[in-house]
Amino acid sequence: MKFKKIFNDQRVVLTLLTIALFIFFGLRNSAFFNVDFVIYPLLRDGATLTVIGLAQLCVLSIGHLNLAVGRMAAVSALVAGASYQYWGLTLVQGAILGVLAGALLGAITGWIIVKSQVNAFIVTLAMDFALLGLVTFIYVTFTGATAAFTTKPAGMDYWRSKSLADFCLGPICGPKALPMMLVPAIFCLILVSFMFSKTRLGRELLSTGSNLRAAKLSGIPVENRVMTAHIFSGTLAGIGGLMLAYTNGSFTAAIGSQVMLPSFLGPVLGGTLLAGGAVAVLGTFIGTMMTLVIRQGLSVQGIGLETLNIALGLVLLLALSVGQIQKMFTSIKLRGKK
Amino acid sequence: MSNQLLISKVSKAFPGVQALNEVNLNLTSGTVHALLGENGAGKSTLIKIITGVYLADSGSLKVEGVEKSFHNPIESTHSGIAVVHQERNLIPEFSVEENITLHNPPLKLGIIDRKERTRLAKQALETLGFEIDLTERVKNLSVAQMQLVEIAKALVTNAKIILLDEPTASITGSETSKLFDVIKRLKSQGNAILFVSHKLEEVYEICDTVTVLRDGVSVLESMPLADYKQGEIVDLMVGRHLAERKAETRRVDRNATPVIELKNLQTSLGHRNISLSLYPGEVLGMYGLVGAGRSELARSILGLHAITGGEILVNGSVVKIRNFTEALHKYRIGYVTENRKEEGLFLDFPVRKNISVTILAKILQRLSVINPKKEDDIATKYVDRLGIKVVDNNQLALTLSGGNQQKVSVSKWLAAETKILIIDEPTVGVDVRTKASFHELITELANEGLSIILISSDLAEMVAVADRILVMRRYEFVGDLDNSKDYQSMSRSIMNSIQAS
Repeated sequence: MKFKKIFNDQRVVLTLLTIALFIFFGLRNSAFFNVDFVIYPLLRDGATLTVIGLAQLCVLSIGHLNLAVGRMAAVSALVAGASYQYWGLTLVQGAILGVLAGALLGAITGWIIVKSQVNAFIVTLAMDFALLGLVTFIYVTFTGATAAFTTKPAGMDYWRSKSLADFCLGPICGPKALPMMLVPAIFCLILVSFMFSKTRLGRELLSTGSNLRAAKLSGIPVENRVMTAHIFSGTLAGIGGLMLAYTNGSFTAAIGSQVMLPSFLGPVLGGTLLAGGAVAVLGTFIGTMMTLVIRQGLSVQGIGLETLNIALGLVLLLALSVGQIQKMFTSIKLRGKK
Repeated sequence: MSNQLLISKVSKAFPGVQALNEVNLNLTSGTVHALLGENGAGKSTLIKIITGVYLADSGSLKVEGVEKSFHNPIESTHSGIAVVHQERNLIPEFSVEENITLHNPPLKLGIIDRKERTRLAKQALETLGFEIDLTERVKNLSVAQMQLVEIAKALVTNAKIILLDEPTASITGSETSKLFDVIKRLKSQGNAILFVSHKLEEVYEICDTVTVLRDGVSVLESMPLADYKQGEIVDLMVGRHLAERKAETRRVDRNATPVIELKNLQTSLGHRNISLSLYPGEVLGMYGLVGAGRSELARSILGLHAITGGEILVNGSVVKIRNFTEALHKYRIGYVTENRKEEGLFLDFPVRKNISVTILAKILQRLSVINPKKEDDIATKYVDRLGIKVVDNNQLALTLSGGNQQKVSVSKWLAAETKILIIDEPTVGVDVRTKASFHELITELANEGLSIILISSDLAEMVAVADRILVMRRYEFVGDLDNSKDYQSMSRSIMNSIQAS
């Protein structure tokens, strides 16, 4: 129970801290409380980054990492964009195709890691470079100077600009501050959380991450689990890529190019161990929101880009120390026990 | 003889437990002093106080008559105390000489003086009477050689007091006798040596004086070892008279179909002509020294290394076992590893999850969800059955003692209801009482019909538990003996079969 308690505590602390920061920035400058210009976009970006954070979390669970997470998102957007532009697919058909492309990339990555026994860091780094080249090449070849697929299928703007206020059950409508983008994010949060906390698959993934050799010797098919983790990662990166593209309004090579490092922030701030074996799904959302509140809050204060980056760097440092600090506390506790 | 290290009335409490209660110990130069006690008796805590990891709550610690109080390991090192830990603290990628001079490399203008480093390392190794290539990387050394490097590392700090924490736990018999030569040498040079071990035979071979801890109290304080019989020491350690269990020979039906049979097996690791039959309910011992190829054989059978010739039969039919998943789910074979921390447990998982890992498929409800109640019930069943000491099933495996961890590691295979269990060195680093309970457990499981292959380098354990003993040497069987359970005659025949080969 104690272990669980620490995690609960951390999530509570993180939530309180995020709210405190939010109020702090709001009090300093009331523009921060503006629904249309701050809160709505904040949550919309938060939703997208959370899904990409979950993509990272899936591989962190087995102690791997996915440096190609942003580029996998780009490929999904590319596939969906091409399908809208050239094949005239509907919004949903194209989206499904895009997500499948992400899953396929994840599967290929996992397969290479299992078969070559090369570290996931190297494989996904190589994957990132390869995909960067491929994505840019395709956009330039097919669309020339625009370097973007601009055809918007029916309903795409809906996801970009509508909020739960447009979603009514009889006379009761949702709040205007909550963007539609939250719906797929919440859907992913629930599924991933359920998978890790309740199911056999989740347990096998975490066991593999906690101690690979012990998992192997206990009869867990660890190679399959490595594949599974990377397929999930690719799938979620794909969903994230589509969310980025829909928010963006067009399909370009730049999609996903800024999300690789932030994808670590959410999960790790939330309490996911880089070494594997423990994940924090809800924590990923809270951690992501916190970084966005800081970024957005500072920029509303009129702080320059450089200072902003310094602040974000400090947050990253904090995030990466959290695991270590936690370990320190646990070891103090253990010392006490002995 | 001067008092090198004098500990009087040292106490240390942790929340909820009095780890040490007014412990006394007098370590004099030129002696080897045994520190004995069961797991959890307080040996580790005492060592940690001497080496400055913990600070004592009360009591005094004197080095060469001077009152000391160590706040960190560096202060302890500066007072001439060195410790050689069970888990080796060497850097595998560094050379022997780099490791030996690691803590205090000789400097010249701020740069490491290589000549001086070589000289220091050479000198330390000469003191030990031990030769080795100084530029060899430590990862290429044998466990015994690493141990000696570790001792050499202690010597370059000019230590006069050397603590050896279970130095023989993972080295072979002949390596042990070499280590003992080194210890004798250190002793004749006037060093004071504190020797911690679970192997009483060795303690009697090398030690002069003895202190026994039980539940944090020194029940025997710095007495000459020769005045006490082995049985008396054991009684002091466990606090009651452990009745000598009369080991009985068991009846095994050798006309039945063997549950597993190997015919002229060869492996990519170099096993040759390996043939054996394990009958239902039998405990088949596989004896040999460390490095004889026993664990490697077990792992090859389970698919970790390639089989290059011969056949494996399970229940009479030829099979090909590709991996541990197949071994478990298709053939019902389990393997209790000798490296419980590295391979047997998920240390940061609760006991519950460590036990259920092999049976996830059996405790599912809808949507492939693990049924928490079933999981907990099964964990409770084996915690009770094996007498695992836990607060509850959610206690982390990390926080259990070695013996209890080992029981958890066995539990998962019992929960999986395996038919064949390969148990690899189950009692290394486990105290006398837990050891005895393990031996009872193995016999009990065999009586219930489990077929067991027991791998052990502990001759006494072999003779006490196995029905038949196969002796392995250099990846080949060199003996196949029916166990009469008479230690004297069995140990003689086993040694003979090793010598004769």
